[in-house]
Amino acid sequence: MNHLLSFLVFLPLVAALVIILLPSGFRDRFKHIALGTSLIQFFVSVFIYLNFNNSAAFAGVNKESQFQFVEKMAWIRLDLGSIGKLEIDYLLGIDGFSMPFLVLSSLIMFVATLASWEIKANLKAFFALLLLLNTAVMGVFCALDFFLFYIFYELMLLPLYFLIGMWGGVRREYAAMKFFLYTLFGSVFMLLVIIGLYFSVLNPATGNHTFNMILMMDPGSYLGSSVFSSVAPQSLLGISARLLGFIVLFVAFAIKVPIVPLHTWLPDAHVEAPTPVSIILAGLLLKVGGYGILRICYSIFPDAAIQSAWWIGLIGVVSILYGALNALAQSDLKRLIAYSSVSHMGFVLLGIASGTAEGVSGAVLQMISHGGLSAMLFFLVGMLYNRVHDREIANFRGLALVMPQYTAFVVIAFFASLGLPGFSAFMAEAFSLIGAFTSQEVNGLLPRWMAICGSVGILLSAAYFLWTLQRMYFGQTRLKGGDKWLQQLKDVNTNEKFALVPLAILAVLLGIFPSLVFSKMNASVLAFIQLISG
Amino acid sequence: MDFLTFSANTLCLLSLIALVFPFSSFLVILQLKKSQGATISIFNISVSLIASLLVFINVWNSTTLQQQVEWFQVGTVSISAGILLNNLSVLMMVLVSAISLLVHIYSISYMKGDENIYKYWAYLGLFCFSMMGLVISDSLLLIYMFWELVGMSSYLLIGFWFTKDAASQAAKKAFIMNRIGDLGFLTGLMIIYSQFGTFDIGRLFNVGGLVDSASIINGFWISESASVPVIWLTIAGLAFFIGAMTKSAQFPLHTWLPDAMQGPTSVSSLIHAATMVAAGVFLLGRVYPLFDSIALNTITVVGVFTAFMAATIALTQNDIKRILAYSTISQLGFMIAAMGIGAYGESIFHLATHAFFKCLLFLAAGSVIHQLHHYKEHHSLEFNHQDIRLMGGLRKQMPIAFITMCIAAAALAGLPFTSGFLSKDAILITSFEWAEGYHGFKKLVPFVLVLTSWLTVFYIGRLIFKVFFGKSNYKGVKDAPWPMTRILLILAFFSLFPLFSVNPLSYDNSWLLQGFVPAGVKPFDIFHLLVPIIVTGISAIIVLISYKLYGGTATKQLPENGLLYRFSNRAWYLDRVYDLLFVRSITALSIISHKFDTLIVDGLVNSLAGLARIISDIIHWFDRHVVDGLVNGIASLASKTGDFARQFQTGKLQHYLITMLTLVVTFFIITYLI
Repeated sequence: MNHLLSFLVFLPLVAALVIILLPSGFRDRFKHIALGTSLIQFFVSVFIYLNFNNSAAFAGVNKESQFQFVEKMAWIRLDLGSIGKLEIDYLLGIDGFSMPFLVLSSLIMFVATLASWEIKANLKAFFALLLLLNTAVMGVFCALDFFLFYIFYELMLLPLYFLIGMWGGVRREYAAMKFFLYTLFGSVFMLLVIIGLYFSVLNPATGNHTFNMILMMDPGSYLGSSVFSSVAPQSLLGISARLLGFIVLFVAFAIKVPIVPLHTWLPDAHVEAPTPVSIILAGLLLKVGGYGILRICYSIFPDAAIQSAWWIGLIGVVSILYGALNALAQSDLKRLIAYSSVSHMGFVLLGIASGTAEGVSGAVLQMISHGGLSAMLFFLVGMLYNRVHDREIANFRGLALVMPQYTAFVVIAFFASLGLPGFSAFMAEAFSLIGAFTSQEVNGLLPRWMAICGSVGILLSAAYFLWTLQRMYFGQTRLKGGDKWLQQLKDVNTNEKFALVPLAILAVLLGIFPSLVFSKMNASVLAFIQLISG
Repeated sequence: MDFLTFSANTLCLLSLIALVFPFSSFLVILQLKKSQGATISIFNISVSLIASLLVFINVWNSTTLQQQVEWFQVGTVSISAGILLNNLSVLMMVLVSAISLLVHIYSISYMKGDENIYKYWAYLGLFCFSMMGLVISDSLLLIYMFWELVGMSSYLLIGFWFTKDAASQAAKKAFIMNRIGDLGFLTGLMIIYSQFGTFDIGRLFNVGGLVDSASIINGFWISESASVPVIWLTIAGLAFFIGAMTKSAQFPLHTWLPDAMQGPTSVSSLIHAATMVAAGVFLLGRVYPLFDSIALNTITVVGVFTAFMAATIALTQNDIKRILAYSTISQLGFMIAAMGIGAYGESIFHLATHAFFKCLLFLAAGSVIHQLHHYKEHHSLEFNHQDIRLMGGLRKQMPIAFITMCIAAAALAGLPFTSGFLSKDAILITSFEWAEGYHGFKKLVPFVLVLTSWLTVFYIGRLIFKVFFGKSNYKGVKDAPWPMTRILLILAFFSLFPLFSVNPLSYDNSWLLQGFVPAGVKPFDIFHLLVPIIVTGISAIIVLISYKLYGGTATKQLPENGLLYRFSNRAWYLDRVYDLLFVRSITALSIISHKFDTLIVDGLVNSLAGLARIISDIIHWFDRHVVDGLVNGIASLASKTGDFARQFQTGKLQHYLITMLTLVVTFFIITYLI
């Protein structure tokens, strides 16, 4: 019970080691090992979900004692002489913000593993890397020590780089490199802020500097004269140091989200990545960005966050509209979905920027919802690509006649993504927008026009999804590959249904009972609002 | 009738049954596929109708019921979901389920032989579910959800024949245009939520509710929790109205409806004439207390203008379904205008009568289309079986279709003894009474409405005479089979006066109207006498004129190339204008932003990368040629010096002596000479 989170985080690592040690004769079993691992993780995370206490006494956010399933161990203690003692803890714990992501992660990993059936080359390395990535993602959502968080955060990059670079499409090396450098660019500066924070914060219990995130959220634990002290504001390069720290961290996470204009790695990475990696990328990696903004940027620098709210809201609105307009212009189905991710993640920023309970709840729900839906969308694109190795919208027509079940899933996924009520994205987007709209009355952070402009994104999403439906799936069948394609375009098989059905169910469940997420995180949202509004 | 009286809980349960049963046909039929879709859905919709009727009997004019449960909590606000039953919702429940049942039965033969017929039943189930949900929900958020689901089912049904390009395009257009209205609705929701912190219709709009008790002081709209400039009240009203405009196809957001005729005619009848398009009017009714005078004026102007514009377009259309579609838009304009002038009850009254006669018009037209289509297939002919110019003389061949359609046309035209006469008169007379109190453009409102009703008489006369009179081109066409025609007969009965009022010539005693407007509130005035007489008199003359023009065997060809003719025939060129103004500009914008993205944003990233590479190349060059060059230079200098010095190391004594001598001589020369 006490080590449930560690189990969740390190189980895939153990599985990866097993795969590495197994002789290649077992190569057909690797995928089953990976699948079993993610299934176990899924059940564990559901167990955690069911046993999660959602009362206000367990809100978490900025009170370590309120976190649940906490594991704390002294990890690195190094006497550095005059600078003091280096103190890094192995600190895992979850609250209402991180818990839903654990369930999402294990589900997405399950789907991604099912999508890996298509992978034929170098299976040992592929599944080992996939499981390593799994560990890193789980670790990011559980870590409460900034150093530990950073390790997991950087650990995600390595397997992704190889997964895209080795199993990807034609321009995989360019895409992998671009993705790697982009993210590294953000995280290098993040490291500077982490070190700055380390030297600014003292652990009252031991008197040492600490990497404990939760202590970083407490203005009382800052040294009066330190860089990021909120008592005696310092300035760096002419701007307030805390604002600068916030901006640096924000940019680092925003690259992951991604925001316009730091998004161009995403379409390339998606288009080149193999299907399972696209699924993880859209389903989880982007969420790490949003989660980081909530857990770290906002919680550690609430004052700077409030100061920047208008800009963050603007970035959100721009991402929504710009992403949607770009999606409308795409001719490659996978690129279209990649840009739609940019648009949908804009709602997350808008909701968070509003600083209202509605907005923040909507933003988190949007991340969960989009995690499932984007995985579903990329899975569907992958199915088409596997069969005929083509994704150009113009090369397909009247697919509904050829693959009726497949089209049914596409219709569900498209309508869910364009925010049809009854599906999760509607609730999420509606509450992000409502939060942004009420913000003017509640805290004056965002003007009302932002919410209204953001809602135009919903209109545009209907436009690009329905246009695609009409062009690719309806009408008389006409395929670029002719009869050969007709042979190859088989309808959904059982294996694929196993992946698609849970995602569809998730979308419907959260759309009709948003309280499945809302009730678990409400206490945390309120504590968070309390924290940022001071 | 005691055994029909139920407790509040039972009534709510019954309305849930009315809601859930159609949805179950959606789920079940999609699972079962081909088998028995019709039986299941007709059973379910019948249950729905019975439940609705029971609820209606108990609630109408006697009580208002609201029951709710907590749905979810966000922050500190609890959002509830529940049922609100009052006169408006129970009337709509019966209307929706009754017409749905009739259309369901009609569809058995109309859609016979379609290979995807099970999907048709499933989608109809989804539609009925959404529509029921829309009318009984007690929360604006829920209404919004069902509102979009209605749009979704309409999308599925318009695009039912998805292999037809026109159909799938029309479906897309309908959904996207409705989304524009949804944005308005959503904006309205957001304003209401931020002002009052709830979506609960009961709490918001009851007498003494939150909207009622909000005050306007010094240009501010003040509620318990918020105070904003009063312009937001107007915006809220207009936002909801934009929502209503798209669903109820009001100018300028009406262009999706004529295109929606690409769906099966039964669908056009149920969804795009009788029920779904009335949802906008229903929404206005639900949020009525929110409208201030600016909003009401806008509603009036838009409604009146739409009524007039659509009627002018209907004058020259040749596709039988398109004529009816524009006539629907025009009649919806009447309802909307009635809402705008405060004739709330009259508007709902017209909604109810229109639902029946417009449904009948479509179904009768559908029977004509159906029979001609079969005739065409049977004789392997190629002609447009929806074009009224190619029809004629069907009066004797299809007597039931002829008679029922005449009744429906009379109701649409507002001729006496029909239901349409009652409700149209109600709106016209109320508009005259309303205009009494105003000057300026408002004086025009009743006259435009009267003019529109005359136009209506003309275009529907044209349709009837062209289709049923004159010379028949198709020998051997017969009335549709009995399963279809019996529905026409039932609807024809519902289009006559007895269902709505005992007195065929006055709407004052109509039970339906009295459910919304208490009897005796409005005094009897001269308009009650003058309007019916004058309007009906001139209508009769117009019927004769159109008979002269279109009823004869040798129909005169009216000139078809005038400016006005083309303007009307092309539907005021609105589609083309929108295409240029919005579709193309947004497509262009998307292409520009894509170019911007690849060239500028990504270009910047790539050129940064390129710059880094150039810098690294320069450094590499520098390293190789300067830094390393320096090192190598020093090394080579040393070796060159060594080489040079080595030359002196020849090992021959003569060379050494020469060298020494040269050095000594040189030394002396330098010392002595300088």
